[in-house]
Amino acid sequence: MVIIAIPSMGEGGLNDEISPRFGRCPSFTFVELDNNEITAVKTVPNHAANAMGGAGVQATQIVGNNNAKVAIVGFLGPNAAMGLNALNIKLFHAPATRMTVKEVLDLYIEGKLEEMTNSNVASHYGMGGGRGMGGGRGMGGGRGMGGGRDTEGFNNP
Amino acid sequence: MSNRRPKIICVTGGKGGTGKTLCAVNIAIMFKNEGYKVLLIDGDVENPNTYLLLNGRLENKQEVPFFKPKIVEEKCSKCGICAQNCMPNALLHIKGAFPIPMLTLCSGWRLCYKICPENAIEANSKTIGWTYSTEIKGLSLILGELKPSEARSAAVVEALLKNLENVVEYDSEKFDIIILDTAPGAHCDVELLIDTADVAIPITEPTKFGKLDLIRIMELITLLGKDCRVIVNRSSLLGFRDQFLKELKEENIIILGDIPLDSDIVNSYCQGTPIMDNNSGFNKEGEGYQAFISIFGNLKQWLNINNKIKVKKLNG
Repeated sequence: MVIIAIPSMGEGGLNDEISPRFGRCPSFTFVELDNNEITAVKTVPNHAANAMGGAGVQATQIVGNNNAKVAIVGFLGPNAAMGLNALNIKLFHAPATRMTVKEVLDLYIEGKLEEMTNSNVASHYGMGGGRGMGGGRGMGGGRGMGGGRDTEGFNNP
Repeated sequence: MSNRRPKIICVTGGKGGTGKTLCAVNIAIMFKNEGYKVLLIDGDVENPNTYLLLNGRLENKQEVPFFKPKIVEEKCSKCGICAQNCMPNALLHIKGAFPIPMLTLCSGWRLCYKICPENAIEANSKTIGWTYSTEIKGLSLILGELKPSEARSAAVVEALLKNLENVVEYDSEKFDIIILDTAPGAHCDVELLIDTADVAIPITEPTKFGKLDLIRIMELITLLGKDCRVIVNRSSLLGFRDQFLKELKEENIIILGDIPLDSDIVNSYCQGTPIMDNNSGFNKEGEGYQAFISIFGNLKQWLNINNKIKVKKLNG
């Protein structure tokens, strides 16, 4: 059994979109996997989203306090990386496309996500309230590549 | 007695590369030439380079310590009170685990150390920079250096000011004039230095960048309630001098003078021999030299310093 933390856009949940930001994501969706089967889903709002500084550390506390051992992240700042590493939480890089929590989880189960150990953006990268995902949504349901890239340059690894 | 206190002048300027250090060093030298005892403090701790303009060396290196929390696991009850109250979120606490210090976020306030109910946090320290003190060309120089990769530059500036405080408090007659040279910008390092001074001299140049940054630094100086007069360096640049001086006048900005582009100044800068040094051998009729003479006259008039003897009488 393993609990996986995934930063999510709205209130969280399997059908919610993943958030590219870690420390300042609106919510975390925690998914419990047992033999690659989803056995429980929990959402937790991220009270650190608007913190002046140290959001990465506070968000890491939320992840740690919910017993996650794995996190799937887009942009990860240095403080969050330091905290997650200190807690021995395994990190996987979410692809730079819009997708739901369930979709990224499927990629994880299929072993298609790359493991990462370090931060990939500078401190305070995710600040600047509410810019988040821009662009039209376009492409309807279904898996695979969704339309509309994020205005913050989500395609930047 | 208050009149024993040395005059403290802060040379600052907002924009980088306007000639803050050049002016600070040469003003210091001109005071020294007249027999004043001068202390120069380089507060640009991210680029401490004043000694280069004086062709000197850094000596008397001292470490600047910075608080570093250490969790004593034998005492810690894992309550998390330290992490909950840490404003910069520099302690990572997970239920049932020892808190983990995130040192790059630590502000050094020691709140965790003070409030831990189990006294389980020790106040260790790490070195975030150094101070140096030296005597060059008849000037006393104190300099601060921030360790590369450290972020808390203001702590190094505070260490410099602690040095200054000791001088003013315990040996107030050691110096007549203290010159503080700041970093560019209008941030907390600069603020600390301006706030310590009696007056500020922002250095600017006749460009849009120069003017914008001058107005920003003057806002800070005004907020701190200090009097200031401006020096316009490289004033002959591209022929904007007259227009620029007119613009400053329209903003009610008073200037001490302007320094034209001058090859002697450039040479002195590259050689590390201040142009105003008596032994520098530069042409005393040159435009740059004369500009400094005029600025110095205006500065003394502004500060009500007529000559050294009068200062001594006041002290006596």
